[in-house]
Amino acid sequence: MRDIIESALLSAKRAGATYADVRILEREIEEISTKNGSVDALKRSFTKGFGVRVIANGAWGFASSFRLTTEEAERVAEEAVAIAKASSLTKIEDVSLAQVEIFQDTISQKVEINPFSVPVSEKISVLLESDKIMNIPGVIIRKGNMYFSKEWKTFASTEGAYIEQERIVSGAGISAIATNGKEIQIRSYPSSFGGDYQRKGFELVKNADFLKNAERVAKEAVALLSAKPCPSGVMDIVLGGSQLALQVHESAGHPTELDRVLGEEASFAGTSFLTPDKLGNFRYGSDIVNITADATIPEALGGFAYDDEGVKAKRIYLVKNGIFVGYLNSRETAKKLKLEPMGAMRAQSWNFMPIIRMTSINLEPGDKTLDELISGINRGIYMDTNRSWSIDQNRLNFQFGTEIGWEIKNGKLQDMVKNPTYTGITYEFWRSCDGIANKDFWHVWGVPNCGKGEPMQVMQVSHGVSPARFRNVKVGVLK
Amino acid sequence: MIGKTRVLELLRKVISRSEADQTEVLLLGGKSYLTGFANNYIHRNVGSENYTINIRVAFGKRVGAATANGFSEEILNKVLKDAIYIAKNQKENPDFVSFAKPSDGNGKFDESLLFSENTANCDAECRARIAKKIVDSSKKLDLNSSGTVETEIDEIAVVNSLGIEKYGVRTVASVKNIAMTEDSSGYSKFSSIDISKIEPENIIEESTDIALKGRNPVSVEPGQYEVILTPYAVAEFISHILYLSLNARAIKEGRSFLIGNFGKKLLGENITMFDDGLSSETIPFPFDFEGVNKKRVVFFEHGVAREVVYDTLTAYKEGKESTGHSLPQPSPYSPYPMNFIMEGGDSTPEEMISNVKQGLFVQRFWYTNVMDPKNAVITGMTRDGLFMIENGKITKPVMNMRFTESVISALNNVLELSKIKRIVYDMMPMTVPYLRIKEFTFTGKTEF
Repeated sequence: MRDIIESALLSAKRAGATYADVRILEREIEEISTKNGSVDALKRSFTKGFGVRVIANGAWGFASSFRLTTEEAERVAEEAVAIAKASSLTKIEDVSLAQVEIFQDTISQKVEINPFSVPVSEKISVLLESDKIMNIPGVIIRKGNMYFSKEWKTFASTEGAYIEQERIVSGAGISAIATNGKEIQIRSYPSSFGGDYQRKGFELVKNADFLKNAERVAKEAVALLSAKPCPSGVMDIVLGGSQLALQVHESAGHPTELDRVLGEEASFAGTSFLTPDKLGNFRYGSDIVNITADATIPEALGGFAYDDEGVKAKRIYLVKNGIFVGYLNSRETAKKLKLEPMGAMRAQSWNFMPIIRMTSINLEPGDKTLDELISGINRGIYMDTNRSWSIDQNRLNFQFGTEIGWEIKNGKLQDMVKNPTYTGITYEFWRSCDGIANKDFWHVWGVPNCGKGEPMQVMQVSHGVSPARFRNVKVGVLK
Repeated sequence: MIGKTRVLELLRKVISRSEADQTEVLLLGGKSYLTGFANNYIHRNVGSENYTINIRVAFGKRVGAATANGFSEEILNKVLKDAIYIAKNQKENPDFVSFAKPSDGNGKFDESLLFSENTANCDAECRARIAKKIVDSSKKLDLNSSGTVETEIDEIAVVNSLGIEKYGVRTVASVKNIAMTEDSSGYSKFSSIDISKIEPENIIEESTDIALKGRNPVSVEPGQYEVILTPYAVAEFISHILYLSLNARAIKEGRSFLIGNFGKKLLGENITMFDDGLSSETIPFPFDFEGVNKKRVVFFEHGVAREVVYDTLTAYKEGKESTGHSLPQPSPYSPYPMNFIMEGGDSTPEEMISNVKQGLFVQRFWYTNVMDPKNAVITGMTRDGLFMIENGKITKPVMNMRFTESVISALNNVLELSKIKRIVYDMMPMTVPYLRIKEFTFTGKTEF
């Protein structure tokens, strides 16, 4: 391994790089999905390779290969430098990186139960048992899925960094889809789009207790078919944790990515309304809104020890007491704004160049109970579990749909409602937040599929949240 | 590139070593390069070479799959061993009948139509010069450009133990620009097998023209408007029904609005949509990821629901032939229309605009998502060009708006289609015309 790294770094320097880093990554994944009583897909995948990132002629270049030999490392490093020199054709100023502490470290991850030591047949039986329980009249599709991965990554740079990190992830979820021929309703557990994911072993599956929740999930999916439609109008809402996680993701996580703020993602993901002139003075939310980026939370999917620039994981505030105070950044973007690098550069795999990604972006807990949040509403809706999402390219106008809702009348939960939706403008919405549930309700939700960048990279991130209350929100926009 | 002879030798080797009743090997990979620019300079410039071996084995109805990158002896043996382990520990899949049969895999296609030396030979400097042409033009107009120049060489091969043996190599190139001012933006993107057929000048003209005309946008109230959608907007809007409705899996799972409606008129008389992987109107490829030749599948003919796409899993269970629309298996999105084409009409885009008394011109939709899957209700934002049309003329730029509309309703309300169509390539090509649609619903607005 070290000879490949040395070959890449030396070759890059010899070819004219003023900075180079190399990442070697090996990852194994096991995915199982079941549907309607049988295994729909069961697959193991494995990937291994390396990527070399360089600055030459003051511009970036990146090349990668699956052939792990010293000769290939030399060729790829030279290709990365040639690409960087081509980049410099349009250079306006030299790329410059903020100084950071340089580390040599090895990080292994402890889990209670190694997910790869659990027989496939045991995993299948958990999903099929749940499937059986969900098989009630009205449900047309029962789904279950599990995901396990383990990876070993080595990062080294011409500045002397040499960091090895292990990462083990488990994820699982179940869902039931019901139809009456005219419409489709879905319920999921513990969250939609594949369930919940954490840096844990098979204990995540054991603790999720699918068998206990399967019947409720199926019954709720069927009940939604005959539930009344979500009312339309301006009213108060309480968002449950799994929906609020996505709200944080879209309206706090993405707009604080400094690369998109500086226009570097404009051709795909867009830009951001949180421009540098607003840093430290813009009222993003109400006084009780505190949002952190924290890669140090144990077991959080968005956590790690070092990012893909070798920057040590940190916890910083993005929003403090309602004021926008921080960005997710890289060494390059931090330097541009004279900020301290906070370690948010990550790449999907060995063949992608790192870009700024969310770590664990969290709404810090408040001081209420869920009952207290609900009891403070005369007319409103409690919504949970995301079903659809959409937000403009500056991250202002959003619209979310959830799987389920319940009317709130005179401080009490009432009838179930179907097709709940709500829409708003990001900062108006967060300014209307007047209650956040306490740490007993706080959970870090794993989001395994955040897409960003060109070429598109899918990243594992997470969001610690507890339910929260928002006033005067536009509800019910579905035709 | 690995090359046809070596690839097929490798895949045959796996087949010969397998103890399974049936074995299928897919090789998928190649080289991909992307030169990205933002703020009028190249800020990201990346390249990758990678190949993935995907092996499926079946013991009776127990099917296992495994995949790994690379093609060394060690990798081939590991993937085969993993696939066999999984299959042996697997439950029976009652829907499984067989991997692709040779009878589904015959047919000829001129492979030279898939490959361009110009694209394959466009190196980092070639890509950077295209990017430079675009950003230099933007600078002259005091605009801020952001975009990409992409090339890829894809090698795809499938061999199975039943006699399927397929190999193909394809190039694709795409160039995109978003030109921006302080308060407007304009979008343009072209894709082709041959990068020399993409004219940067056309991309510059389209994107900068919209950006310059879009300055000082006005706020318009949400409501129902007649709209002109460009092919970019049409593809983004319609793309959702490809996985929601137009495939055999959606029919089987009870999710598609076509269920029980084949032979019935569900869309407007002027709507004909099909999938044709061999058409010169798309970025073609002759076979799918199971090695089955792609067949022309007509979804709607003058509004009447006709058929959907199949892979072997969905087809053989029903005693049908696969239509050649399998994604790499196993996949929850397979089968999938990979070369969607919508028939055009007789109008020019200019004539279509001239026929609008009051409405909106939409260059592009963004971040669309499904609100109601059965009725194909989609929400999303406009982006990179929204204009008011009054009395047949574009009169003023409009701040971006949110729409919430059913694809089914919209395709019953199409008043006019353009003769020209465009290939909109985002992972897979969709070839669509401009559409003029009445009563398109906008449900919100934003601040820019």
